[in-house]
Amino acid sequence: MKKKESTLINMVAAMLLITLIAGFSLGFVNELTLEPIAKSKLDQKVNALKLVLPVFDNNPVAAMILLKVENVKDSVEVYPAFLNDAFVGAAVIGTSEKGFSGLIKLMIGFKPDGTIQNIAVLEQKETPGLGTKIKDAAFINQYRDKNLAIFNAKVKKDGGEIDGLTGATITTRAFSEATQMAYDEFIKDTAFISKSKN
Amino acid sequence: MAAIINQKENFFKGIVKENPVFVMLLGMCPTLGVTSSGFNGLGMGVATLFVLLMSNIVVSLIKNQIPSKVRIPAFIIVIASFVTIVEMVLEAFMPFLYEQLGIFIPLIVVNCLILGRAEAFASKNTLFSSVLDALGMGIGFIIALTLLGAVRELLGSGSIFDIKLVAENANTFILFILPPGAFIALAYLAVLFNKISIKTS
Amino acid sequence: MSTSSIIVSASPHIHADRTSKKIMYDVVIALIPAFLISIYIFGFGALIVTSVAIISCLLFEYLIQKYLLKTTISIGDGSALITGILLAFNLPSNLPLWMVIVGSLVAIGIAKMSFGGLGFNIFNPALVGRVFLLISFPVQMTSWPTVLENNTVFADAVTGATPLGIIKDGLMMGETMTDLSSKLPSQMEMFLGMTGGSLGEMSALALILGGLYLLIRKVISWHIPVTMLGTMAAMTGIFWLINPEQYVNPLFHILTGGAILGAFFMATDLVTSPMTKKGMVVFAVGIGVITVVIRLFGAYPEGVSFAILIMNAFVPLINSNFKPRRFGAPIKSKIIK
Repeated sequence: MKKKESTLINMVAAMLLITLIAGFSLGFVNELTLEPIAKSKLDQKVNALKLVLPVFDNNPVAAMILLKVENVKDSVEVYPAFLNDAFVGAAVIGTSEKGFSGLIKLMIGFKPDGTIQNIAVLEQKETPGLGTKIKDAAFINQYRDKNLAIFNAKVKKDGGEIDGLTGATITTRAFSEATQMAYDEFIKDTAFISKSKN
Repeated sequence: MAAIINQKENFFKGIVKENPVFVMLLGMCPTLGVTSSGFNGLGMGVATLFVLLMSNIVVSLIKNQIPSKVRIPAFIIVIASFVTIVEMVLEAFMPFLYEQLGIFIPLIVVNCLILGRAEAFASKNTLFSSVLDALGMGIGFIIALTLLGAVRELLGSGSIFDIKLVAENANTFILFILPPGAFIALAYLAVLFNKISIKTS
Repeated sequence: MSTSSIIVSASPHIHADRTSKKIMYDVVIALIPAFLISIYIFGFGALIVTSVAIISCLLFEYLIQKYLLKTTISIGDGSALITGILLAFNLPSNLPLWMVIVGSLVAIGIAKMSFGGLGFNIFNPALVGRVFLLISFPVQMTSWPTVLENNTVFADAVTGATPLGIIKDGLMMGETMTDLSSKLPSQMEMFLGMTGGSLGEMSALALILGGLYLLIRKVISWHIPVTMLGTMAAMTGIFWLINPEQYVNPLFHILTGGAILGAFFMATDLVTSPMTKKGMVVFAVGIGVITVVIRLFGAYPEGVSFAILIMNAFVPLINSNFKPRRFGAPIKSKIIK
């Protein structure tokens, strides 16, 4: 099989042609997948919200509000939920930088009175087998249906009521800190959040 | 190249004799990076098979039109396009797998298995041979990744294809789902694979 | 040399004109004081864990040599025995026994036999076994029984943290050294071994005694232990002088954790340490620096075993840069980097 002679012109032409075809086909596929990608991203968020919130019928993602908090770098995302136009709770993104390997990001669902409905772990980089146990139902159940106004969400070691994970006290502390932060935020602005139906 | 290529051999060499992972040790980055469970290995294997097949087809078709000095960049563009397509399709229709494989999907571009087959085989052989070569190599890659993923999942999480075999709180060898476990498991699987394939041939 | 003794292979063996078997048994003798202390402190558990580790190491070596490699059986050379003892010394005395067996399999099977057996292994087998267990079973590997309690039963006793663990945890919570000092054992307690920790790393006194025996018998040279501990002392000393509220003093760092056990018994392993004295110094400085970096800034409270394994990987490189001068060769004034 004879190789084609390489001249400047045919090299430029060949590359131009290939890149053109590649560009067009990518554009085409992008067009096709744009909508499904957006939808699957939304689904993921809605699924997390359904997990942590009481039954709702509005679109909390569209109603999402950003609250500026003093001691947190970024604004806090809050997703208010409504059922038949009545405020049934809100999901607050709680974060803590004090995890064993940095950021721990939780989504905490509150009922209108501030009781925790459920918690979902959105991001964590903890040690597998130790810190990753914060995702286990057995651990999260300690926080469910608790109101932090009367429930001390600190680790038992620090005088609270939460059983720390064996070998992952630091992770547990960060988890509690993120939960507390979300709770404080929710309580401070409940009035505003509950009226923020779009 | 005038010799008649045994097409059957062309297909099967990728699965056993020249298995890309266990024998040629190509494509180590995805092999070690994503095989923390059987499904991840399978998903990455299938994605790679698709890209390998498409790139072999296209490269084989355009091999006579490409000036030899720019053939590598041309192959890379072809491969990268298919990888991007795979990435977008996965993100749209299989978001779970997309999240699991993460950064390793774009990295299929630099999987030396794909560029290696394009340069060493597809650019010198007919379309039909190239398709068989891609299928054989791709299936060999899938087998290797799925096997490695399954072994690591079994030892590291005590489950196989997400079916839990041990109690929730049982102690499993967490090391195997971490990077060092990938190296250890791969080494012993390669030993086993080569031992068996030498014995049988 | 009878057929059952070790086949002398790579050159690390030749710097003593005795058989490797004799060297190995000298090491075993040197480990006895530390073993007795650990039985005194942890009781039955220490005895059981050590016996299981030794028996399973010997058994795995025998099985692999007989059925997998089909070579001469060399379990009599004492190297598997030492691997077993050192592995046990790096484990908590209440570790479930099946984990001890897994650790032995990893140490002998993966770290030693897969590389070709004694003389060919790149990494210290006992430490590979230990690190495998530490990463796989972090909970069990970091729960140590409290000293001098419950030591007649082998069970999950009340667990206490190691001094290094207390410091890591406390500093992460924002406490200062002054706050923490009340929770820490005194330096005398650490010297004698009355603190929490792995089975054999307890008593600095017993380990130093064993180390001195090895030095006198010329099984090891002073280069690695002295340089390694010196580096650690110097580095932690600098940090301590800069900010004594955030960093603990150098003596503490040397007496606690696996520093002394590692310096005398594991970094000096003849197979996995450099051949020349200069090489040993480089090797030991590396271990010291990595250990301190892990202890002060890493995720784990203790870093000796990681540090030794990392530097093990550099040994071939060190050996090729610090070759012994050929006899009669002119002395070159080349600076070797």
